[in-house]
Amino acid sequence: MRLAAPFGSLIDRDAPVTFTFEGRTYQGFAGDTVASALAANDVWLISRSFKYHRPRGVLTMSGDDGNTMVQVGQEPNGLADILPIHDGLAVMGQHYSGSLVADRDRWIEKFSSFLPVGFYYRAFFKPKGIWNFWEKLVRAKAGLGRVDTSTPHGYYDKAYAFADVAVIGGGVAGMAAALEAAKADVEVVLVERQPMLGGSLNYTRIDVEGTSGPALVQELLGQLRAAKNITVMTEATCTGWFTDNFLPIVVANRMVKLRAGQVIVATGAVEQPAVFRNNDLPGIMLGSAAQRLIRIYGVKPGQRAVVACYGGTGYGVALDLLDAGVEVAAIVDLSATPTDNPRRQAAVDRGIEVLQGYGLREANARRDGAHLAGVVAAPITGNGELADEQRAIECDLLCMSTGWTPAASLVAHAAGEVSYAERSGSFMVRAVAKNMQVAGAVSGEWVVDAAIEEGRQAGAAASGQDANPVPVPRAPDDRPPQPWAIFPHEKGKEFVDFDEDLTVADIRNSVAEGFGDIELVKRFSTVVMGPSQGRVSALNALRLVQSHAGRPLEGARGTTNRPPVTPEKFGHLSGRGFEPVRLTAMHDRHVEADAEMTVAGAWIRPAYYGADREQALQDEVMCVRNNVGLIDVSTLGGLDVRGPDAAEFLDRVYTLSYARQQVGRARYVLMCDQSGTITDDGVACRFSDDNFYVTTTTGGSDAVYRTMLLWNAQWRLDVDITNLTGGLAAVNIAGPNARAVMEKICSEVDLSAEAFPYMGVRLARVADIAARLLRVGFVGELGYEIHAPAGMGEALWDALMDAGAEFGIKPFGVEAQRILRLEKGHIIITQDTDGLTHPHEANMAWALSRRKPFYFGRRAIAAQMKRGLTRKLVGFTLAEPDGPLPEESHLVVRDGEITGRVTSIVRSPTLNRPIGLAFVAPDQSETGQSFSIKGHGGRMIEALVAPVPFYDPENSRQEM
Amino acid sequence: MKLMPCPLNGLRNISEFVCGGEVTEMPPAVTASDSDWAAYVFMENNAADVVREWWLHVTSGYWFIAERHTASDEILRTYPASELFPKRFDFEPLDDPTEDQGGSD
Amino acid sequence: MAQPTDHKRRSFIYRQLVSAGAEFTSLADAAVASRYRNEGDARKLGIADLSPLPRTGFKGRQALDWMAEQDVAASPHNNLANLQPDGCLVARLADTEALVLSDLEAKSTTVEKLNALEPGVGCYPVPRGDTYFWFVLAGIHAPDCLLKICGVDIRPHKFPNHSIAQTSIARLSTIAIRDDRGSTPAYHLLADGTSAAYFWSAVLDAMAEFDGRPIGLESLIALN
Repeated sequence: MRLAAPFGSLIDRDAPVTFTFEGRTYQGFAGDTVASALAANDVWLISRSFKYHRPRGVLTMSGDDGNTMVQVGQEPNGLADILPIHDGLAVMGQHYSGSLVADRDRWIEKFSSFLPVGFYYRAFFKPKGIWNFWEKLVRAKAGLGRVDTSTPHGYYDKAYAFADVAVIGGGVAGMAAALEAAKADVEVVLVERQPMLGGSLNYTRIDVEGTSGPALVQELLGQLRAAKNITVMTEATCTGWFTDNFLPIVVANRMVKLRAGQVIVATGAVEQPAVFRNNDLPGIMLGSAAQRLIRIYGVKPGQRAVVACYGGTGYGVALDLLDAGVEVAAIVDLSATPTDNPRRQAAVDRGIEVLQGYGLREANARRDGAHLAGVVAAPITGNGELADEQRAIECDLLCMSTGWTPAASLVAHAAGEVSYAERSGSFMVRAVAKNMQVAGAVSGEWVVDAAIEEGRQAGAAASGQDANPVPVPRAPDDRPPQPWAIFPHEKGKEFVDFDEDLTVADIRNSVAEGFGDIELVKRFSTVVMGPSQGRVSALNALRLVQSHAGRPLEGARGTTNRPPVTPEKFGHLSGRGFEPVRLTAMHDRHVEADAEMTVAGAWIRPAYYGADREQALQDEVMCVRNNVGLIDVSTLGGLDVRGPDAAEFLDRVYTLSYARQQVGRARYVLMCDQSGTITDDGVACRFSDDNFYVTTTTGGSDAVYRTMLLWNAQWRLDVDITNLTGGLAAVNIAGPNARAVMEKICSEVDLSAEAFPYMGVRLARVADIAARLLRVGFVGELGYEIHAPAGMGEALWDALMDAGAEFGIKPFGVEAQRILRLEKGHIIITQDTDGLTHPHEANMAWALSRRKPFYFGRRAIAAQMKRGLTRKLVGFTLAEPDGPLPEESHLVVRDGEITGRVTSIVRSPTLNRPIGLAFVAPDQSETGQSFSIKGHGGRMIEALVAPVPFYDPENSRQEM
Repeated sequence: MKLMPCPLNGLRNISEFVCGGEVTEMPPAVTASDSDWAAYVFMENNAADVVREWWLHVTSGYWFIAERHTASDEILRTYPASELFPKRFDFEPLDDPTEDQGGSD
Repeated sequence: MAQPTDHKRRSFIYRQLVSAGAEFTSLADAAVASRYRNEGDARKLGIADLSPLPRTGFKGRQALDWMAEQDVAASPHNNLANLQPDGCLVARLADTEALVLSDLEAKSTTVEKLNALEPGVGCYPVPRGDTYFWFVLAGIHAPDCLLKICGVDIRPHKFPNHSIAQTSIARLSTIAIRDDRGSTPAYHLLADGTSAAYFWSAVLDAMAEFDGRPIGLESLIALN
């Protein structure tokens, strides 16, 4: 039932909203949450519990519990108590079979005695194989909500934000902190997860009349509106603290990454449920939840209420209930003696009966089991102990105002100290990280004026106006501690953790099993591990663990608190998922030529051209061998190494010697790391005495460039290293007709073998494009690499294809190139080498200079060679050329021992037989020796060591 | 996310950087024993103390040195590499190049 | 009307520009998108591809001194750009490196002049016209848009005009230079040309909530 204004500060009664719950249509107002709108329609059963399928309803009305998890369309686990309604919203309850009201799985609770704490760890594994039976049942019954894997990705993004002072929590302490900080000329961001500022003053009653709270909020709001340097974010949740005050703030579908110089945590406190039999029935809620319903949403929370409390707050709840037209049957005050409080006096004056020094024995359900029908109270005789005499009181609403715990997650994330304090009967912030302060209820300050003063002090200190931060821990005060609101019952069902349906007995039994520490109890029982992450269970769990384990509560810590504070969606974490992609200048030409593209690191390259892979590879290979082909090799790295020490520098980073390399010549480069492992290769082209152009493998350029920069930061040679990789497009034109094609578009250089021999390099214009010409080639035919400005890469490609048209030039892809190079026995670093391969193993001893005191890996290679070779890379063919082909990484096996593996293998289109490279034991590596490869299905395949190159062993074709 | 004060670019998110490991001194490349060389290549001190580390600001290709306490993860100071490496370094030459391991040239 | 393919040098993303409705004007050796059908509002938020405009770079221990000898003055501070009398912008990236960007109307001959020279030992030319794409993000929403993809505080009151950030933008190593057009915030964005298509679409995606769209060089010039 709705209450008249001024109740309902957030709802707009002129804006009705229609939505459905469990298929039935309901009406609410703009500003309502699903739970408040349902409550206004007298619907209190919202969901069912995870394990026992018990009926559940509103507990906190602040999103701090997991009781109201609902499914909205394809999205599971929305929290109905904070989820705003809009027209057409379709909401379903969770965790039931059939219907929410008549759940067919309610029987599970009857078996609760067979599902003891930790049963996950003890059931299902004996006898062997029994899990296969249980899995189907468990999978069907377990889990939260329904996940639809066909759900499309929503649009989520991220944004950075900056503040000198970030204030988390927009209650009065936070508002005061922001206002004070803003007096200095600093940028302040105030973050509040509710739609409005004011925090607890939006619902709690701090005076008899119930007017001073709202008035105070209005006053502070006015000041905030006048401040120019405060950015207010509402419906914005700070979900964690990360190093150097990096704060993720979730706002709708965006995660804002706020970097703050100073953080003021003013996140308040979370009211805690009392623990007694059937304390989870719908109709039993926190006092603050009832007040939120009344004051924020204008909803009458029940007809006849009992309030359980210990201090002034609960009496404020009782007064609010009376004002909302709720009959208050009794106040169960857990304190032994009355406190002197005006709100208490007013409640007594208005005729409410107070049961002083009483606790709660149990709650009773209506006949359908789905709502509260009454409570039984009894005098407290000790911690958690009740006298036999008792009072049964009929009611449909029980408000629990029996204690609070500071919302100190952010303090804990920043490695501040939060632990139990006997003097408050709750957790207390005892230390905070530097560049962080706490103010208000999170620090333990409940009194409004004092909280505001704390906020001001924090704001002044954070903005550098005052050197005195809020002292932590707070000095002791004379207020009585929160009472012990845990009342075990001989029949159980006193829920400590509603998420996981864990009772007092479950915690007690965990301790009895030997798990005497809260961290161990957590892992064994799953307490505080559910969706609410202990926000409404950690305090009671710690109290129980410490008392059953016989350990002191004072100074005891709860479980380690980790981000996120409240659930984040994967969408928030992934944002737009930036993944840079590199495309060569000729990319669109490949696509237009029907290339099948393949991913190579950040690059996308043509694998082959056309729809039929086998045919394409055959044609591309044969075209290079017999005619002329063109491949895009822009992905190769390219570095300019320039300066008087350029040759000396290359001598130190590569294994060969470059000091006497002739200008106009290219020389192979091989790079190892300091442990002697091969890491990269390419060629060094000397264009002048102090100017080398060095190529690297695809994907190797960044690592090579970084390595070079790092070492020259130490050697201080007079050399400059420039990474031109993206700036140069490159192609390799290869095949017997390559020269004929080139002669048509490159007239300024004599391309004859005599004038421009193999391993020569030239600067020349090709198709009127200034280019670096390299007579090198991986594929073993007459060929030229042409490296030209990337912006002209497409024009270069077109010019070569045009010039080659009369010869029938064909583009070829990476796969054909890999076949062609294997026919020549050239290795590919990281395919034919691994993380340990040194040059001798890969038959590259020829590339190791003997004249230099240093190159990367020199000492390590020498040391390894003292121990001798343990494996060797060899070429091989198969004894049965038409038999089955082993695959790359198939093992070489001898007498049951692994001696090596296949690194490359292909059926050569040119030679028409299988060829490959493999690591074998040194004594298997002589030409003609046979070895065995364990192929598919364990079938042994005989291989024969063969000399490389397989094709054109005299290398005459590339030197034509 | 942690912040790193880059001597060239100022305070930046640590995700803009790559750590290059501790600053270590290379033993004499020709005369060091195999075990000294192995220790240089493979051993990490991993001390709970202030260590000097190489850091690269990736976008600007700038290597510098950071002094960081490995226990608190506090970065105490960062500075250009030239502060530790002020002048050109040359290796001692080989006594007899042909006595070295196999290879060409 | 000029077409990008009239020239051998082409913007890395000329196809995207064509599909966005670009009309081109020929410069010395390439065609630049000078206006668009359905052009964005450059005062609010627009992105322009200036990749065809002249630019160059120099590296080495003598680079800044050599440029000074050619009357091209870099800022005394790293990560600060210096506007030259002829309108070109010299961005000092380090003690040993600077980048030279043509004025938007390509009237300055500085880039051409410098590229024609052969600096001696210690100064090495870098073909920044080949290695980097060059976009400009302009408009009053440009700072907010950049904050969605850039972790450096580039808001005008924290990042004075001509400041340079060498940073990761949309996870791509980028040089961002603030160079307002009149009273409108504007940022040059230069990064690896082979990632131009990726970056263009990533920035357009970030611009969508501000109704940002491609703008031609003419709109950008008109902002002055």
